[in-house]
Amino acid sequence: MIQKIVSKNFNIKDSHKLEVAKANGAYESIDKAFKLKPVDLEVEISKSGLRGKGGGGASAGAKWCLVSVTNEKSYLVVNADESEPGTFKDRQILEHDPHLLIEGIILTCYAIHAHDAYIYIRGEYVAFAKRLEEAIAEAYKDGIIGQNVKDFGYRVDITVHRGAGAYICGEKSALIESLEGNRGHPRLKPHEPSPEYFFGKPTLVNNVETIATVPFIIKEGADAYRAFGTEKSPGTLLFGLSGHINNPGIYEMAFGESMQAFIDTVGGGVKNGKKLKAVIPGGASTPVLTAKEVETARLDYESMREVGSALGTGGMIVMDEDTCMVSALKNLLSFYHHESCGQCTPCREGTAWVDGIVENILSHHSKLDDIDLLSDISKTMNGKTICVFAPAVAMVIDGFISRFKEEFEAYILQSKESVNV
Amino acid sequence: MSEMVSISVDGQKFQAKKGALLLPTLLEHGIMVPHFCYHEALGPDGNCRMCMVSIEGQKRPQIACDTPIKKDMVVSTKNESINDVKRKILELELLSHPVDCPICDQAGECSLQDYYMAFGLNESRRPKEEKKHKNKKLDIGKNIILDQERCVLCARCTRFTQEITKTNELAIIGRGNDARVSTLPNQGMQTPYAMNVIDLCPVGALTSKDFRFKQRVWFMHSAKSVCHGCAKGCNIFIDHNQEKYKSDTIFRYRPRINKEVNGHFICDEGRLSYKEENSNRLEQAYAHNKLISKENAIAYLLHALNTLHPLLIVSPSLSLEELTVIQLLSKHFKLEVHAYVQGYEDESFEDEWLRSKDRSANLASIKKLDIKTSEKSLKAALECTGLIINFNHFSFLNPSPHEQAMLLHKKEIHFSSHNFENCRHKKLLYPIASFSEHEGSLINEGGILQKYEAGLCNERENILSLVHELIATPSTAQGVWDAHLKEVFGFEYEAIGDEGRKI
Repeated sequence: MIQKIVSKNFNIKDSHKLEVAKANGAYESIDKAFKLKPVDLEVEISKSGLRGKGGGGASAGAKWCLVSVTNEKSYLVVNADESEPGTFKDRQILEHDPHLLIEGIILTCYAIHAHDAYIYIRGEYVAFAKRLEEAIAEAYKDGIIGQNVKDFGYRVDITVHRGAGAYICGEKSALIESLEGNRGHPRLKPHEPSPEYFFGKPTLVNNVETIATVPFIIKEGADAYRAFGTEKSPGTLLFGLSGHINNPGIYEMAFGESMQAFIDTVGGGVKNGKKLKAVIPGGASTPVLTAKEVETARLDYESMREVGSALGTGGMIVMDEDTCMVSALKNLLSFYHHESCGQCTPCREGTAWVDGIVENILSHHSKLDDIDLLSDISKTMNGKTICVFAPAVAMVIDGFISRFKEEFEAYILQSKESVNV
Repeated sequence: MSEMVSISVDGQKFQAKKGALLLPTLLEHGIMVPHFCYHEALGPDGNCRMCMVSIEGQKRPQIACDTPIKKDMVVSTKNESINDVKRKILELELLSHPVDCPICDQAGECSLQDYYMAFGLNESRRPKEEKKHKNKKLDIGKNIILDQERCVLCARCTRFTQEITKTNELAIIGRGNDARVSTLPNQGMQTPYAMNVIDLCPVGALTSKDFRFKQRVWFMHSAKSVCHGCAKGCNIFIDHNQEKYKSDTIFRYRPRINKEVNGHFICDEGRLSYKEENSNRLEQAYAHNKLISKENAIAYLLHALNTLHPLLIVSPSLSLEELTVIQLLSKHFKLEVHAYVQGYEDESFEDEWLRSKDRSANLASIKKLDIKTSEKSLKAALECTGLIINFNHFSFLNPSPHEQAMLLHKKEIHFSSHNFENCRHKKLLYPIASFSEHEGSLINEGGILQKYEAGLCNERENILSLVHELIATPSTAQGVWDAHLKEVFGFEYEAIGDEGRKI
């Protein structure tokens, strides 16, 4: 099942060091790329069908095109603000193969006519930021980046910027606001397809893993990448496993594999021989799946939508039969309550309210209407805000309530009893 | 972008500017769309989510403040589903709101109240014990009190300090429902335009320390007026009320929108200058430190005009009509008129926005009427007379040593709106109305002729009726305009309009 493209060097000793990375093929694609025109790289990426790996799964080629067609000075921003609960894939790249990311940055900059790249890294990733800085210093020293990339006459400068700990800064426009020195609030979405704008200049924002996939596609060609995965979800993804699982970790696989098989074989099954109850498939913001839904689920964007969830970041949280789903939802809602940026009314007030209601259910101070109230609030939160934070929360709530309603009711009935006594 | 296209709103068709934002277009057509964060002076921000409308072809409701107008757009602002959306979002806005309307100054002019009455009217679905509490009384300086609990976080105030004054005193801190408007630690508002945030605030979160708990807004009457604090002539509302057994009193000035003059704003000094209209007013006539009846005063005035050949001095803040009749008075008695303007200059007041160094309200009219203004000409005129008649020129009511020296050995008659005790021992000190008590017109420094209404109805005599008694000139501003100014300007008094007229 394992298919290593991005993770091919992860298990090599000292893979983060330039010397070792080079010995294992790092920066080879640069020589090929600079013999091509920038547009050729863009075409190759479009042909490969590469999809953004930060969770949204939008076409990378289309996004690149929006920037390059402007013909203006542009920027590349790498989104390393990995904060989605259950997601810990980008850190593996930063830790084990930072040079792969740098290589991807050089290629992407060349393709979109950018000379300056910013890596916005999650504030808590102190050690990874340090490692990244070290790798960048090595690359500068070796002439791989800087005024004259490998003597090809192209300048690429990379700056690492550490975030201050807000989840919302992983949203691309909030990330840019934060990078500009403003409060990390998502911007109003454009009405027509448009790139992001960093200090007024068109900017490409891509996830770490997306950029780290670029060297393979440029080196081996779009078809080599398309050889993996499905027609609409080509290639591979760093899938994560955490929770009640025997082998937690990050595993690279082609899209389209069976979730059940992945959990059973690669994951080694549920911990302590217990039964599977539920899986949150792709980071906290994707609707939870029941064990029955997991049986049929396949790990690509389209299939996951068919089972009523989303692939997201591919970071799966596995929950065994003893998991309390009310507590699980409370855990997630505490997070969203804390992380809502507070800009839009439905999200600012809604996340706090739903968190309070589930808290009440958990502490047996609730009534049966509260389930309907939760659904009603999540309806108001869905599709009425600037960014997709609130809709994600709404879907999380709906996911839990529609699939595990009886557990919520059981809690509430207990509270009725306690009221009567 | 100025192409006009046809759009349909709630079944009603009209022409609108293609690409213009939908919300202001709807508001211009009198279609009520609730909104907090959008403000004409600040543009859209998209955070409050109140201005939801449904647009044919769009799956989800859209915020009108960030929707550009397209050809043949079909908009619905009040179908049941969109009303439900608005009701639910309003419910969220009110979730932690203290609902302390009975003690809130904003009550009666509060968007939150208005929208709740228009389509909310729901019971709270959250126990009040669960409301989020924040700071209820935070003095952020410059006469502004912040109540964070009433705030809907529309960011109008923070955007005002960031985008308009560029002084950045206010920001939103904290995330989620912990978000609140704040200043930097131990720092307050600095800008001389700070109190505009009180008007911008759609709810009772920002209230005026000066106005707090003074008056319920629905008891007050508003008069359209023009600030007399400097030559900018910012448009204001005079909000006043006559309480039982008390005289008519001004409680506040508010900016009145005039895009050609002051936009939506006024400076704090102008805003608070209402106090001068209320206090220290001259009520009775004095001669040589003794009270004198008005009849005797007028008799003496006539005697002086007829026999003592006085110099008439006018304040450059008098209305165009007042200046006109004083000029007629001077012609009748063959006297000279002078408006000494030096005392009205204040370099320190000037800025690049709404504050002018010329602290007189009507210098442009003085010039238009060819009234002399220089110190040199004043000195020359003073040499030919032993008596001045001053019409409310404060430089002579409250003279500096420099002006005192000019008046040495002169006899003085003063018509004054305010009580200057030092003038009581003069030949005559006679009370007149101030600008808030009568109507008139002014020309500002930009050459815009503006009229202002009478606000207070206190029975003080104004200059028009006084001169009318003396030489039978018209006793109203309209009358003076019809008889003398219509010909000069070429249009009727009404044609000046609420927003003034460039001349």
